[in-house]
Formats: sequence, structure tokens, C-alpha cells
Amino acid sequence: MTAARTITFKLNGAPVTADVKPHHNLVELLQTHFGLTGARESCGQGLCGCCTVVVNGKAVSGCLYLALFVDGAEVTTVESLDTRDKLSPVQEAFIEASAFQCGYCTPGFIMMVTQLLDQHPDPSDDQIKHYLTGNLCRCATYPEVMDAVKLAARKRKAGATA
Amino acid sequence: MIPFELAEPTSLAAAVKLLDPDDATIRPIAGGTALMLMMKAGVFRPEKLISLRKIESKYSGISAGADGLRIGAMTTLSALEQSADVRKNAPVITRTLLTLSNVRVRNVATVGGALAHGDPHMDLPPVLMALGATLTVIGPKGERKLAVEDLFAGYYETVLEKNELIAEVHVPAQGTKKASYFKVTTGSADDWPALGVAAVIEGDGKAIKSARIVASAATDKATRLKSAEAVLNGKTVDDKLLKQAGEAALQDCEFIADVRGSVPYKRELMKVYLGRAIREALGGGTH
Repeated sequence: MTAARTITFKLNGAPVTADVKPHHNLVELLQTHFGLTGARESCGQGLCGCCTVVVNGKAVSGCLYLALFVDGAEVTTVESLDTRDKLSPVQEAFIEASAFQCGYCTPGFIMMVTQLLDQHPDPSDDQIKHYLTGNLCRCATYPEVMDAVKLAARKRKAGATA
Repeated sequence: MIPFELAEPTSLAAAVKLLDPDDATIRPIAGGTALMLMMKAGVFRPEKLISLRKIESKYSGISAGADGLRIGAMTTLSALEQSADVRKNAPVITRTLLTLSNVRVRNVATVGGALAHGDPHMDLPPVLMALGATLTVIGPKGERKLAVEDLFAGYYETVLEKNELIAEVHVPAQGTKKASYFKVTTGSADDWPALGVAAVIEGDGKAIKSARIVASAATDKATRLKSAEAVLNGKTVDDKLLKQAGEAALQDCEFIADVRGSVPYKRELMKVYLGRAIREALGGGTH
């Protein structure tokens, strides 16, 4: 009845194909077909941000996104941000500002902050809060996250002019 | 989630044909953010979903003219939020979107979906209703116009046939009207509201010529508050008048209790926030 369909899309820059069933979501696709576990389902309701994935340049909740919908799309996950020996400015900033404790929510925060800084390179406190309102940290590192975002903005600016 | 089939027609007309007026297990899906929640919870168990994501791109755009805004039903909520035309012609919509769920949901959820879902807790329906918006609905026999005010039949129920789809939303030009929307949450600011109140007022200073006021979330469906409007129209706002209007509003509503508040609590919210919405609209910027 519900046969798998083969889809083709770009995953972190590389063309890939996968056989997907209609009722599978994007997090399941990334974890089971590609072994990418950075996006993880936590609340399962689009509230917590742990499953953040970027599809065609826009952040989505992977747990609320049908896997078939990425057919032909460009998909970016947290795994794309670092190279073998260099973290991204946002990742560095989260470490330096101690903006996590258990780390479960961190990939989602990193992805959302990267999006935020792409759109607002020098965000105000209100812009940060507005953008991150859908990311929950049960260790409550929110003050440190605010610091990390500002630090990341400075790092990106310095990197751009270096 | 339980398995289902997914069809991805490339035109709205083809999507309409795939729907069946007598088969509730075949349903359309737009962004899917709300339907995914229902399918995960097991309260929505479709056998076949008709995706609208590949229909003609003309159904996902915004244009502005002398007669107001035209918004394609497949327009995402973030496109609506970021539209300069929307901010200019109906800034109450832009303000409303700031606390409507979060960035990721707005990137995916659509305007048509927010209406067709019939969920009384959503923020856009009361605002569009207060603005006097109308819909273009497409079905097998062609298209028809429907006021958003006439869309909702009850709790998660609309008057749409099972093979009708919303194609476009038309928000009429607002002229000098002023507008406000209060989202009253008992959790975080972007939580589902316990009450939503939208007010669109034609007036002069504190004198109200005509008001359109809509309540949602506390009620079984987005509901126009005609009794409250009748109290306000042609009057000058003061505390006594707003109290009377708040009492009158109670007659217009079918209140529902949920985790965000009991019926008595929501009735009190209504009395208080109706007045606040009026004052905000009168004192705030234009629409």
C-alpha cells in the first residue's frame, strides 16, 4: 500500500538518493539512512528546536517535516558546519561561553543561531529572543546562549574582515 | 505515525480531482505542521494525503493593490511576516506573526492551512476575520467567494466541502481603520492562547464609528462579537462603555475549557481584554 519512493536531494552539499516511505519524517530519514544524529526528535511537536534542519535555506522542524518533501531540495544539517579540524564561529562561541550543560539541545541552537546571524549579522537582544523562542534548553543556559550569540557575531565579523 | 499514501499533484485543479467529497480518509496537506501533530497523536489517520506543495507557484505569493492584499493560500507564514506589502497595508498581521509559534513553524506552515484547519486557537483567523478578509475557494464546479467570517462551522470544523480548497485570501484595503490583536497566553508568549481578541476600528480619537471585533481560542471557533460591536458603534470610549461591551461579548461566545483555563476564567479574560484590545487599537498606530 505505502511503497517507498526514491527521492534525490542535496545533503550537506553532496547529491544523495534514498528510499523513503510517505509517513517517515526528515529526522528519521537523516538518522536511519545517513547516520546523521545531530538533529534529534525531542518534544516531537516543533516546540523545542532539537530537530532543526535547514531546507532550501530555511530552518524547519525535522520532526514535523515529511521526508518526501525534501525531494529535489538542498538540506543542511549541523554536521556540515565544521571541518575536520575547525569548528564554525557559532560552535566555537557556544564552547567559549559555556552555552550548554548536557548538550542535547545544542545542535538545534547552533543551527538556529547560524540562521539568525545569516539574516541579522549584529542582532539585538529582542531579535535573538524572537529567533530562539522555539529552542528549549532544560539545563536553562539561556543567559550563556545570549552571550554566545553575541560572541559568535563578533567572531563572524572578525573572520569576514580578516 | 501510521502509514499513508502521498500524492503530489502539480496543479490545484488536479488536487481538487484527487479529493473525494465522501471519503474523509483522503485529505489535503499543505505545510503539514498541524497535521503532523495530529497524525503523531493518532487523532488524524488518513489513508491518503494530497500534498499541495507542488501546485502552481501563483498560489504562494503576495500582491498589493488599491483594493488591498491578495495572499496565495500556499504562502508561508514567514513570507507573510516578512512582506513589506503586508506591513504597509495591514501591519496588525505582521505584529501578530511575531508571536505565532516559532521561526521554524512559520517557515513551513501556510496561510491556507491556518484557515482550513479550523483550529480555534490559531492567531491568523481572528485577525483576518476582523479585517473583513474573504477567500477564493476552488472546487470541482469552479470557484466561489467566502468571507472568513463564514468559514468556521465549529471546533476544528469549516463549511468547506471535502473536495474544496482555499486558493487565495483577499484582505480589503483598510483605509484609516486601526487594528489590534491581543494574544492572551497563560504559558510563554508564543504558546497557544487562552484567548485571542482582534479589533479593527473605524473611528476618530475616542469616538468609534464602527468596530469589527473577533474572539478566538477561548471559544469553540473564531467568533465575531456582534453584541459587543453594537454597544460600541457610534459611542465614545470610556471605562463604563468598555465594561458594557465586555459583558455583551459574553453573549456572543461559546466558551470552552482546556488546559489554558476554565470557562469562568476565560469569561473574565474576555471582559478585560476586549477593552484592552479597543484601547490598543484606538491608541496604537494605524491598522
